Amino acid sequence: MGRVITVTSGKGGVGKTTTTANLGTALAMRGARVAVVDADIGLRNLDVVMGLENRIVYDLVDVVEGRARLRQALIKDKRLPELCLLPAAQTRDKDAVNAQQMIDLTNQLRAEFDYVLIDSPAGIEAGFRNAIAGADEVIIVTTPEVSAVRDADRIVGLVEAAEKGPASLVINRIKPRLVSRGEMLSVEDVLELLAISLLGIVPEDETIVIATNRGEAAVYDPSSLAGRAYINIAQRLAGEDVPVMAIPDQQGMLDRLLGLFGRRRT
Amino acid sequence: MSDLISIKGGRDGLRLRLDASAAWPDLLSWLDQHLSERRGFFHGASLVIDLGEREVSPAQLDEILTLMRQHGVQATAVDSSERVTRAAARSAGLAARPLPRYTGSVAAGEPEALLVIRTLRSGQVLRHTGHITLIGDVNPGAEIIAGGSVVVWGRLRGMVHAGALGDSNAIICALELTPTQLRIADLIARAPERNEVRRPEFARVVAGEIVVDGWEAFKR
Repeated sequence: MGRVITVTSGKGGVGKTTTTANLGTALAMRGARVAVVDADIGLRNLDVVMGLENRIVYDLVDVVEGRARLRQALIKDKRLPELCLLPAAQTRDKDAVNAQQMIDLTNQLRAEFDYVLIDSPAGIEAGFRNAIAGADEVIIVTTPEVSAVRDADRIVGLVEAAEKGPASLVINRIKPRLVSRGEMLSVEDVLELLAISLLGIVPEDETIVIATNRGEAAVYDPSSLAGRAYINIAQRLAGEDVPVMAIPDQQGMLDRLLGLFGRRRT
Repeated sequence: MSDLISIKGGRDGLRLRLDASAAWPDLLSWLDQHLSERRGFFHGASLVIDLGEREVSPAQLDEILTLMRQHGVQATAVDSSERVTRAAARSAGLAARPLPRYTGSVAAGEPEALLVIRTLRSGQVLRHTGHITLIGDVNPGAEIIAGGSVVVWGRLRGMVHAGALGDSNAIICALELTPTQLRIADLIARAPERNEVRRPEFARVVAGEIVVDGWEAFKR
């Protein structure tokens, strides 16, 4: 039976979809059978980031409402046969599915895949609740900004209340230079507030923008620092005993912090 | 407090108990006054209504629910020993729970203190008519609202309202007192912009103002 993992954040624009696409790809590169599910109904994105938009025939709502079988709606990745996408519907909204339907859907997927990664919509409303309804685990993505961390804290509370916790944390878009100048929250600052286990950190990296626009995951690009960070996160998610990746070209405070948290396992 | 109405906090939240024999209009006006005088405590609260042995019609129940809504208070359930009252509650879409018949009076005793061990996160509210002790952090965006004093064995970065039922002798103390806002009774204080003080402190009312001191200054 596979693990159903929901990627969520509260605040929009912190990198949920990028994280879902890259983690899914990195896990499939390791040979795992992976399904990535776009639960952001009405604001379909994951297919675009993965470059699969032009292959969509059926979507999640078609499956839930019985117009298509799950196998018909799943789209195989361009490169990795073990990786599949279940796209969101673009012409419907969050009310098109309910929590029980999501639970049924994830149960179907769990039987056929090692990992089911669900890309949650932003917010704390029905779309978010549906996205976590069938989850075994929750990954919370935040950036080191006060507003994003505040929303992440709210989400941690809601995830605990829904008994889907404890959630684990990915801190995205870290700018080491700003952190070392004390102008950005450090990994330590974020962890002190949220008090949940750190799954990984991802540096700010323009290769993400390039990869996203091409519809290719950054994990394919060996020169991409963010891509390497996502591979590190996939290793830790898969249970390998590796420390959180240090950001290599940056000495000083951040590395010391990473030394501190690298030993902490999820 | 009128002895026609009592509001007590317990493990499962607030409980509004209404005297079963008083005249209905009196009860409503008492409740109206009670809620408006203690707006700081009740606004945003949800509570269970205990109607005891009173037979309440759907129209009467609607009156009380409307009144509560005007004060920003929500009902979660109705407890009553009477079938008629429970039927009215169910038709208003509330959970109705049966209750054994009472013998004692409605008067409220000393409220109990509440001990909670967890991190209070953004958007979470802890509300109790008595004192509250929290072992854990109060994160920004979280709120504690207490009728009595509040002790936080952890970092207090959110909002705390002590003495929210009017007691200006209530105090607030924390291992690290860096709240977004403190309130005691009807006073409000914003945390000063200052360097982080990492020592236990407490806040109390002195001459009509909220004053924060190091724990060493605490003497009663």
